[in-house]
Amino acid sequence: MQVDGGCHCGHINYEAEIDPEKVVICHCTDCQTMSGTAFRVSARVPDSDFHLLSGTPKTYIKIGASGRDREQVFCPECGTHIYAAYPGSEPQDFSLRLGTIRQRAQLKPTRQIWHGSAQAWVNDLAHIPVVENP
Amino acid sequence: MKVDGGCHCGQITFEAEIDPERVSICHCTDCQTMSGAPFNAVVQVSQADFTLKSGTLKMYVKTAESGNKRAQMFCPDCGNRIYATSAGDPPGGGQKFFGIRIGVINQRRELSPKRQIWHRSAQPWVNGLGDIPVVEKQ
Repeated sequence: MQVDGGCHCGHINYEAEIDPEKVVICHCTDCQTMSGTAFRVSARVPDSDFHLLSGTPKTYIKIGASGRDREQVFCPECGTHIYAAYPGSEPQDFSLRLGTIRQRAQLKPTRQIWHGSAQAWVNDLAHIPVVENP
Repeated sequence: MKVDGGCHCGQITFEAEIDPERVSICHCTDCQTMSGAPFNAVVQVSQADFTLKSGTLKMYVKTAESGNKRAQMFCPDCGNRIYATSAGDPPGGGQKFFGIRIGVINQRRELSPKRQIWHRSAQPWVNGLGDIPVVEKQ
């Protein structure tokens, strides 16, 4: 599936060819902190199928639970995180942040990882009151 | 309730006095893009109840659908979003409110959202997490 997207301010734009079956929710505490919310959702995309069209992202390297370095790639102008990758030039899958994909409404996560640290309320959104006019 | 937290790389740290009843979920498309997730979760505090303990935040001003300008404050080193507030001084010299991202609060497990806004743009699957397979090992 061909998708495109970018950061909020417009500095970063990309195109990618993704597999809609590879959309993953991650409940790890790093994803909670770095997204500012309960979990992050990413589409796994081979690096050769990801094309940066404009902008120069910034990279922050964190150490994952596996002990490996993990690059967090974000827009230095607006702070929107775009994808995560392993350092180096070996072929790999990027974790493209779902919220930055323009076609995200057509994508649904197919699995959840690091569920042991999931926030307690995430399965109960239907019970949280909706206010239509904030 | 006293809370503390900060960004992932440790440059930014803060303390705040929050009301756990003021935790909400925002499903607006701006929150989707900027969090990278389907929604954002925030707790509203008045400016006086937020204390930046260390670090220098970067500001990105976005224009909301309402026309309001919102300052998005994040760590320039790791890109971690910390809070959003109105841009400029409030009319009449009143207090500003900060929407702190709950993901950056160390005590977030003790917090649960009390209301949801901009639900019309919610991703269709967010009420059905219980039906999405859980894989314990990556």
